[in-house]
Amino acid sequence: MITVKNLYHSYTNDQAYAVKGISFEISKGEVFGFLGPSGAGKSTTQGILTGLLPLQKGDVEVAGYDMHHRKRDMFNKIGVSFEQSNVYNKLSAIENLEFYKKLFDVNTVDPMKLLELVGLDKVAHKKAGTFSKGMKHRLTFVRSMLNNPELWFLDEPTTGLDPAIARQIIEIVKQKKAEGTTVFLTTHNMNIADELCDRVAFIIDGDIKLIDSPRNLKLQFGEKLVVVDHIVNDQKIQDKFSLINKEDLDKLNTIIQTGRIEMMHTKEATLEEIFIKVTGRGLE
Amino acid sequence: MKKLWTTFVKDVKLSYTGLYFYIEVGMAVIFMLIMLFVVPENFDQTQTYYVYVDQSLSVPFDESQLASESTVVERFDSRSDLEEALTDKRSAIGIHLKEVDGKFTYEMVLQGYESDSMKALIKAGIEGEFMSAMPGYVDQTSVETLEVQSERMSDREAVLPVYLVLNVGFMGLFVIAAYVFLDKEEGVIKAFAVTPVHVWHYLVSKIMIMALMGVVTSLIVTIALVGFKINYLLFLGLVLSFNVFGSTLGLLITSFFDNMTKAMGALFFSIFVMMFASLAYFMPSFNPIWLKFLPSYPMIFSFRELLLENGNTGYMVQNIFLFFGLSAILFAYTNLRFKKTLTV
Repeated sequence: MITVKNLYHSYTNDQAYAVKGISFEISKGEVFGFLGPSGAGKSTTQGILTGLLPLQKGDVEVAGYDMHHRKRDMFNKIGVSFEQSNVYNKLSAIENLEFYKKLFDVNTVDPMKLLELVGLDKVAHKKAGTFSKGMKHRLTFVRSMLNNPELWFLDEPTTGLDPAIARQIIEIVKQKKAEGTTVFLTTHNMNIADELCDRVAFIIDGDIKLIDSPRNLKLQFGEKLVVVDHIVNDQKIQDKFSLINKEDLDKLNTIIQTGRIEMMHTKEATLEEIFIKVTGRGLE
Repeated sequence: MKKLWTTFVKDVKLSYTGLYFYIEVGMAVIFMLIMLFVVPENFDQTQTYYVYVDQSLSVPFDESQLASESTVVERFDSRSDLEEALTDKRSAIGIHLKEVDGKFTYEMVLQGYESDSMKALIKAGIEGEFMSAMPGYVDQTSVETLEVQSERMSDREAVLPVYLVLNVGFMGLFVIAAYVFLDKEEGVIKAFAVTPVHVWHYLVSKIMIMALMGVVTSLIVTIALVGFKINYLLFLGLVLSFNVFGSTLGLLITSFFDNMTKAMGALFFSIFVMMFASLAYFMPSFNPIWLKFLPSYPMIFSFRELLLENGNTGYMVQNIFLFFGLSAILFAYTNLRFKKTLTV
């Protein structure tokens, strides 16, 4: 669905590249997370993929369109949800969606149904300018679903939202994923990436450091340990057992068979820990 | 075309709920009210002469012979009285009539602000007015008018062409730039750019909004000032072609900048240069060749022709086509530029 080869971009048209020769591919139906801190090159890459920034150097194909010679009808196939809400404040929520709906040449979704999806149907006829930040964000989000996109660009889709609404958004993305939509997710929220993505790319200073599935990364970078909270002689004890060491495995078996276990979990690394381990930098 | 219409309808909704539309209409109404109730149909051009007749003058002088529709003459008993009166009325001209060596002569007493050409005009005026009043004066001056059918508009109407050019031709430069920068600031351009529409849809819609505003505001003023005695079909042609040109020029200038503050200098400079053409309009003696190359020159003179009873229709039609043609060329280049810069 997306092929990027040796992509470079400079805002100053010189050797100061914001994106430095990155390459990756995204298959149809895949949810691909593009993870990195602010200024890493995430938005620049998404800007080029969505045609908002010119393609200066490298080859990019999006939804079957060569971005060197892109055509406007490409946008019938893609949807873009922006990090910053960008709706017409002087139009109502429904007017905003009705306007964009008419710009597509393909079958579109009923705007009112989209508003219902994110709980904005009751304020459908209110001016977007009167909305809270979260409401505007939800309106921006559902606008990107109007044309039932095959390829969906989501830029920080849950940033600034309260947990309940963020969960609502995540469930919508999961539903679209189940329907076969390809998703390009730009975020610095590792938990969301972990939950949604088939594969993630770590980008820092315009360079991709690593691409893999969250599972493989956890297996590769996580410690192979089990942490067990159990009770011995009426006292709570926490023990760590290696999953590789034979002696530790035997002890673990004994506790499972004879002991009183309160909690037991594998000590797998979080994506955030892996990111820091790989890049040497945090995400904020 | 459906997408263009959809975009235009959206822009109309945004415009009439926005400030710019009401500022434009409000300015037009204020201008109309000032022209109708403050500015007279024709400005008072009466010239006041303060005269002191010296004792040396041997022939009698009767100032009442000079009083006319355009002249007021007041006589003083001394030179000092005359000078004192002149300091009170700065638009008046003083004349000291006397006889030197048996010959009638006069001395002009001026305020000090008069230029050489103005002095020459005053001199000619005095000689025309006063000498003819002197016994024995024979007027041998003949006047020949080259333009036999020349018409003169009222002073109030004469201001209209400049207002119309400023309103439909050049205010658009600022307003259209403000619209584009506002869309950029709110990020809605980016949302629009990821839909299957062309950049020209966006640009033409903005030009259409400006044209609509231009037609509404110029109709308010023109109907109020000149009624229905002009050809409104030609009026619409002129307003639309000049407005489209001004808006396209505004878009082109806008395409070189990323915010209103940076664009302001270039926009101001453009309007400043364009307004030079009004000098030739109000002062026909100042009419250098280079002035005629400013777009505002044919704009002002086309509106002037429109207001004249026997205006030159060919000149107006020619300019309508000229400005639509120029707009098309400018637009093609502007569209190319915005394809690269609109969302960057």
